[in-house]
Amino acid sequence: MYRMLLRKLLEAFITLFCATLIIFTLIRLAPGDPVQLLLGHPGEAALSDKQAYDDRAAGLRAKLGLDQSMIKQYTAWIHKLVQLDLGTSIHTGRAVGAEIAARLPATAMLSAAALLIQAVLGLFFGTVSALKAGKPGDNAIRLVCVALASTPAFVIGLVLLSVFAVTLGAYEISSEAGLSRLWLPALTLGLIGAPQLIRMARANMLAEFGRIYVLSALSRGLGRGRVVKHALRNALLPVITMIALSLTSLISGAVVIESIFSWPGIGKYALDSILLKDYPVIQGYALVMVSLVILIHLCVDVVYALIDPRIHRNREAGAEEHV
Amino acid sequence: MKKGLLACLIIVIITLMGCSNNSNNNNTASTGNNPAGTKDSAGAGSGPDTSDKADAADNKELIVAGQEIAASLDPVKPLTSSYLRNIGAAEALFKVDAEGKVQPELAESAAEVDPTTWEIKLRPEASFWSGKAVDADAVIASLERSRSLDLQAKPFLEELSFAKKDDYTLQVKTKRSHVQVPLNLSYYQTVIHNAEAKHDAIGTMDLTGMYKVLEFSPKQKMVLARNENYWGEKPVIQRVVYEEISDEQTRVLSVLSGRSHVALNIGTTSLGQLENSEEVSISAAPAANTQTIYLNLRKPQFEDARVRQALSWALNREELVILAAEGESIPVTTWLGSNPAFAEAKNAVYTKFDPDKAAELLDEAGWAQGADGIRHKDGKPLTLRLMTWGGDKALGEALQSQWTRIGVKAEVQHGDYSLIQTARESGDWDASIEAWSTFGDELTLLTGQYAPEGSANYGGYKDAETNQLLARLAEASDGAARHELALQINERVAGQAPVISLFPRPQITAVSGALHGFEDHFRQFENVVNANLTLDSK
Amino acid sequence: MSNANHPISLISGIVVLSLLAILILGAPFLAPYDPVKQNVTERLEKPSMEHPLGTDRFGRDVLSRTLHGGQTTLISSVVALCAALIIGLLVGLTAGMFHGSIIDIILMRLIDVLLSFPFMVLAMVIAALFGTSLIHLLLAVVAVWWVSFARLTRSVVLHAKNETSFAAARVLGATNGAIIFKELLPKAISPVLILATFELGSLILSIVALSFLGLGSQPPAPEWGSMLADGRDHFMQAPHILIGPALFIFLTVLAFNLIGEGLRDRLDPYEKSEL
Repeated sequence: MYRMLLRKLLEAFITLFCATLIIFTLIRLAPGDPVQLLLGHPGEAALSDKQAYDDRAAGLRAKLGLDQSMIKQYTAWIHKLVQLDLGTSIHTGRAVGAEIAARLPATAMLSAAALLIQAVLGLFFGTVSALKAGKPGDNAIRLVCVALASTPAFVIGLVLLSVFAVTLGAYEISSEAGLSRLWLPALTLGLIGAPQLIRMARANMLAEFGRIYVLSALSRGLGRGRVVKHALRNALLPVITMIALSLTSLISGAVVIESIFSWPGIGKYALDSILLKDYPVIQGYALVMVSLVILIHLCVDVVYALIDPRIHRNREAGAEEHV
Repeated sequence: MKKGLLACLIIVIITLMGCSNNSNNNNTASTGNNPAGTKDSAGAGSGPDTSDKADAADNKELIVAGQEIAASLDPVKPLTSSYLRNIGAAEALFKVDAEGKVQPELAESAAEVDPTTWEIKLRPEASFWSGKAVDADAVIASLERSRSLDLQAKPFLEELSFAKKDDYTLQVKTKRSHVQVPLNLSYYQTVIHNAEAKHDAIGTMDLTGMYKVLEFSPKQKMVLARNENYWGEKPVIQRVVYEEISDEQTRVLSVLSGRSHVALNIGTTSLGQLENSEEVSISAAPAANTQTIYLNLRKPQFEDARVRQALSWALNREELVILAAEGESIPVTTWLGSNPAFAEAKNAVYTKFDPDKAAELLDEAGWAQGADGIRHKDGKPLTLRLMTWGGDKALGEALQSQWTRIGVKAEVQHGDYSLIQTARESGDWDASIEAWSTFGDELTLLTGQYAPEGSANYGGYKDAETNQLLARLAEASDGAARHELALQINERVAGQAPVISLFPRPQITAVSGALHGFEDHFRQFENVVNANLTLDSK
Repeated sequence: MSNANHPISLISGIVVLSLLAILILGAPFLAPYDPVKQNVTERLEKPSMEHPLGTDRFGRDVLSRTLHGGQTTLISSVVALCAALIIGLLVGLTAGMFHGSIIDIILMRLIDVLLSFPFMVLAMVIAALFGTSLIHLLLAVVAVWWVSFARLTRSVVLHAKNETSFAAARVLGATNGAIIFKELLPKAISPVLILATFELGSLILSIVALSFLGLGSQPPAPEWGSMLADGRDHFMQAPHILIGPALFIFLTVLAFNLIGEGLRDRLDPYEKSEL
């Protein structure tokens, strides 16, 4: 048991290390010079003296450590990371860690609420659909699911926003994360994620129904309700895994929704920083996201192993989720 | 299992809410130590007593939605001072009014003593939020701090050195003669702040504006309250909320839904939906900048001035204004034309849309139209790849369509600014669009654009006559002579066409009908709040 | 457990898809107008007989643009999918063939790392940092999308290695290359193709979403995602210009999802997610 845990931890660390390499190289490979972006915002007076500009750029580059070799920059970054220092934003001069920490609650709040909506929708409609398999109710649910899964997220978001905020005036538009503003983006995200869960829940329930013990239970005359309850319990584990894993896609997938609803989460922050080429922020953001995902995967693995060591072995290839 | 998970979720949510509430509380708490109760500075020539006006409950809170707000509180951090000034928290010594004239703000007056010396009188009644006087020492310390810490303040402070003459008089020496010192000291990068204060928290920052910062979450929200000890006319509205809503569509919805009173930086494409609204009006002050196509003169097809001129003649600027600016701008054919002071240059050189002339010039230059409609010379097609960024996507598409009509094989590449920078470094670019400000000191502006070493001379424009005129401008002392020379340079450049001027980038602000006293300004981004704004009751 | 309705979803998916394919591929003949021709006098017009879906801000016919735009969107999605599929197959075959070797370990580690990157994050970083163009966007999508194919191929290969035909080939002295291409590839290809059908819908949605964020194709070539992004600016004023691209995206993805759904039912009545 402990050995397994240790191995998982080690794997997670290796994954994290590889991720830092990928993030670092990716960002350094990209064209565009953050120093120039920082110095020159076109629109104001152009400098008449190119020499002064170049001197200034060189000074800034040295200050940011961008003139050193890649390996040096990388080790310096890792060295800081070990001390939990994500660096400072080039653009704002503020600590990236603090900035992300300040925005994480908003994203987490949104994701948690969306997850709740997803889970409720998924379990409820999934069960109903499985119970009515092949009947009009099931078909209707499946049709709605397919339709929902075929609609771009931002279209749903835009339609909801214009209906509730402008036409009905029931939703306040501002840039603050508050409970009163949570429901609409959460609903949007929840709706987007629900079809996958509904399908998953339905499939698992059906699989359970098909199992021999259910059939034998039915043949022994056990009440339908009890069988369903039993099947539900067994079908729940993969569904819960799915829910946990969809948290990872929620946290990152919220970028579009955060941008539409002006929700002050990290997705919006990341998008802004990417456009500004704010290296430390992009690095920090990507790293935090990856760490979160690794953590969630690790938890799922551990929980699985705790509950049923057999499943763990079967799950070696992992669920075919796409994040 | 299910219950456990749900319970976990609920706990997470509750904790998170707790967190967010706490952080808010902290912000407010830290402002508690502001000396709000200090006595009124006994009139001191300040405006009328506003207390009776302010009693009306409706003048409580003004909400401004911006594309971006400050990331920090320190005025020397990039752009922070512009946001602080915009919302009434920070002031500079001078200010530019809506007509483009420089007016005293924190300074009382300024005078040129000799070609390299200016004297600036300060206001004895002015004080920082902390009560500290805005005297010569404080002003010098502030400007020196900006000079050493704010890279973007350098262009304005580089040539100046400051000395104290007496407590409220400042002597400014300039390296060059006839530098327009008040103009330099009117830019937001030179706002006056207490250099001894720590500008990293609300409680310690110290500025002079009519509103004090009460709450601040970087790049999200800034709440300000009226500065009861303000030296000038006190504002009517008691509180101002400055919110960042970076998504343009959401910003528009915010003002349409009545949540905010002012929405800044509205793109031209959103104009349509605002025009239909009865509650929201549009302020479209033409900004003093010119949307300009920079051509890369090192490319063989643009070496011939006739080709460049043809590209300019071929443009129907009226149509461009409609397509790319929803009609909220005016065509400008030469670069300086968008500056209110050089209005006579608006339609110089390229007096009308003339595709025939363009075709004629191209024929002359040897680019003959082929069967496919594209012009060729020595078997090579006349190609042009235009790089655009930011909000200029539509403009690029419109230009492409117009150039195609005279047989230029035009492509558009829309991306972010770094792509253009990278392309410029490698030299692999044909044309790009930028809109530099045309407001400021003529020599600085024109040197930056057209001198061989100018940092905005992207295309490598080198012209002996232009350089000679620039040298004369540097020597000229008389205002009228400078104006005349600047016009000459502007016209010479337009004729040579290393760049093609199109129209001023419109600066659109949506203003709620409930707000009165809003002033249009060609530099709206730093001129939203004024003392006379009032709000209707609902 | 009656599956009577499931062929319906498969058939209706195929019908919708064929109709769309005819419309989109036939765009040069069917579209009433030139998709890039601007007309200042007919800006943002409401749907009418001349312009069934109205006109955009340049006075271009939205219907024509939507039909032509489908080519860009569909072709680029299919190209991206094929690239992802080929990379996935190759990686999966190699990893499965040399199961347990250092190559396998490295490849699987890489897959784990990529899986721990949330898709949108990685795609956004790649597309934005390397400059916004359709090619970069597709590269970003491929960089993320091959992983699921690789994993599937590898697990199929691992299964196949236990079969007698594999052992027979080994005994008969077939080379690794021959085994991979004659034995394993044919076995892997059909489940991978089926997975691809499932994935195409969500791949299109991802491309459209990134395009919507402004990381996509270049003007003036029409593309559904950027048409939506442009149209969004006129959402309040002329919402009809969004209808064309939104409807076509919806129908296309719906068609692929219906086909996927139908195939899934045929293959596995219980819809087990692990293929």
